[in-house]
Amino acid sequence: MQQQAEPGGDGAVFGFLTAVDSPLHGLFGGYLVVDAVGRPLEFHCTAPVKVSRAQQILYGSTLHSHLHGQQIGGALLAESKASPTIVLTDHDAMLHVRPHTKLPVALVRPLDGESFAAGFAVGESHVTTHAGDPTNEAAIRDWLATLAQAVDLREPFERIRAAIEEAQRH
Amino acid sequence: MNDKPVNAVRSIRGADLAIGPCRVLPWGDLRIPRPPALRLPVAGALPAVIRVDLGFTRPKVTSYRFAPPAQVAAPAAPPRVLRPAEPAEVATVDAAPQSAAVRRTRIAPPRDVVKLSEKFFYLLQPDLETMLHAGKLEFPRQPFPFQFDGMAFLMPRHSAVLADEMGLGKSMQAISSIRLLVRSGEARRVLVVCPKGLVSNWARELADWAPELVVAVIEGDQPRRRWQWSLPDVPVKLANYEVLVRDRDLVAELGLSFDLVVLDEAQRIKNRASQTNQSVRSLDRRRSWALTGTPIENSADDLVGLFEFVAPGQISERMTPKAMGTAVSDHILRRTKDKVLKDMPPRLNRDERIELTAEQRETYRRAEEEGVLRLADMGREATIQHVFELVLRLKQICNFDTATGESAKLECLQAELEEVQASGRKALVFSQWVETLGRLEGSLKRFGALQYHGGMSTVARDQTIQRFKNEKKHSVLLLSYGAGAVGLNLQFSQYVFLFDRWWNPAVEDQAINRAHRIGAAGAVTVTRFLSVDTIEERIDEVLRRKRDLSETILSQAGEPASAGLTADDLFALFKLAPPRQRAAA
Repeated sequence: MQQQAEPGGDGAVFGFLTAVDSPLHGLFGGYLVVDAVGRPLEFHCTAPVKVSRAQQILYGSTLHSHLHGQQIGGALLAESKASPTIVLTDHDAMLHVRPHTKLPVALVRPLDGESFAAGFAVGESHVTTHAGDPTNEAAIRDWLATLAQAVDLREPFERIRAAIEEAQRH
Repeated sequence: MNDKPVNAVRSIRGADLAIGPCRVLPWGDLRIPRPPALRLPVAGALPAVIRVDLGFTRPKVTSYRFAPPAQVAAPAAPPRVLRPAEPAEVATVDAAPQSAAVRRTRIAPPRDVVKLSEKFFYLLQPDLETMLHAGKLEFPRQPFPFQFDGMAFLMPRHSAVLADEMGLGKSMQAISSIRLLVRSGEARRVLVVCPKGLVSNWARELADWAPELVVAVIEGDQPRRRWQWSLPDVPVKLANYEVLVRDRDLVAELGLSFDLVVLDEAQRIKNRASQTNQSVRSLDRRRSWALTGTPIENSADDLVGLFEFVAPGQISERMTPKAMGTAVSDHILRRTKDKVLKDMPPRLNRDERIELTAEQRETYRRAEEEGVLRLADMGREATIQHVFELVLRLKQICNFDTATGESAKLECLQAELEEVQASGRKALVFSQWVETLGRLEGSLKRFGALQYHGGMSTVARDQTIQRFKNEKKHSVLLLSYGAGAVGLNLQFSQYVFLFDRWWNPAVEDQAINRAHRIGAAGAVTVTRFLSVDTIEERIDEVLRRKRDLSETILSQAGEPASAGLTADDLFALFKLAPPRQRAAA
């Protein structure tokens, strides 16, 4: 049974979801769950998914949302036993995992001096919550501000990529 | 055209056309063959339908779960909590490392980790800076980037040699790594072993760099030591090599096991047959770290002795230097100051070539002639010991004339120290003889000279260091190579004088690096006294040729030579053949 810690509290956990496209193997998904100070609790990764030319043509513009959101993101979140306060992704298409999970999902991007129509800044990152997310944006902002005291919000994605690279070499 | 069928057409004859007479040309068969009728199928089989599978199979997911970090319980009754003697300036990392420009030190899995799950354990840890920040771990001084690299090297390794050049903060890197391991619950019982003279130095460093760790120093009589060894819930125990050798059976009897054993100045165990080597190897331990600035002092065998503790069986003396270098490469981290501390104040070396006084020269000449003659007379009976005694005698004369007490070196040193004192700076003077230190102290009273050597108690030595550091009137500290070359932090000194030369350049380097180390406020000037046209010059020449053995193996290239003086070298100083060659002749 999944344990839900108090959001943003010391026992809170956070999910980081991303995908790595390998020209050689295909698309890998990775999902890292960390505690409130960034230490890893769970890691899940998918076998590579190869997209055929026909799928590319016939799925058209819906391909990435289907692949990242439902196929990869959905599969990864379904395997996790943790119930994070929020799932963060650095991949636009991964936001489409939202219909397949009860967890709030948000996109993290570097600030880089860009201006964004929606969302809020946390440290040097910009966070945009999923459009259809009923969760209070102010609450999410507080949780992430707490997490960002310990961890740069974009740093765990680097770990996922390093792990997936290692898995490809293994 | 008529309606007759084509096959009914007949030949036309000339009379029929009434134009004659003319030659009738036979037309032959003008029948045109009937074209074959083409039948187009009107009803046929349906075309094949190509099905394109557009569905995706849900990818297989592999999962890894990590145990949450254990909480470290505070000890019920701390046996001895060491605190820094002086309040240190505290540098706190007060913000998460946010910017991409901020350095991130990743912990890479060692090469001998094979299982993917174990590799992931390391790869998925936060970077060191984040871990330190998250753990609210404070440092008395902000570590250098290469020191973070050192921690990232040590932390994941069960077998590691940190072989940084002296002065780069090996103990600080080890202590910070211990701290992180204890904090993460990966280590609960750590043993640090160091030379006797460095116990109080280590205690201070532990208090500085890991003030939250309770440390028990193993010392005193046997019942007391038994109690100290048995103390539960003390994360770090600190013992010297002699105590460890003495308590080898006791440690076994108590069934002690350690998550980590750290050896400082680990070149102490280079001799595999020594009791020290065997005692440290007998310790039940999960991780073995060795700290040494000179992993190879004399020959490649030194490294084999070290690795019998660090990673038994990893290398053997039969291996070529290159193979040995390859075998140890993932276990050894060595950095030199010129590579990692480009901004560190320079070390200025100068050889002060000194002419002996006339009386000294005469005494020296007589001693050498008599000594060489005696050796020649002894023929095959002459041993290395005899040669060694002659070398020592000549070196002593280079310091002080045994007949008159005159010393050209002393005169030169006094002149140099005038300048040191006048500029309000401090100097270290090294000699291999305690007796020389005594004579120097008598002659250098006006500089407030203090002595530091192995004949003094630990308390007396600590007090000497404090006085030298804190009292302005003491401009000079006189040290023996044996006691003063290792572990001391004297970076507030700007001058180092090697009054006489040691047998091994690595030991001289260690001595010099007491002053030329992290924290040095300015350039460090090193003056090596060298008596012209004496045994000192000849020894210097031999050592110069041999300086690079360590680098040869550590850089995995070339055939190493011996770094220190061998028996053959000593005989060669007097142009004598070593005993076995003479026997063969």
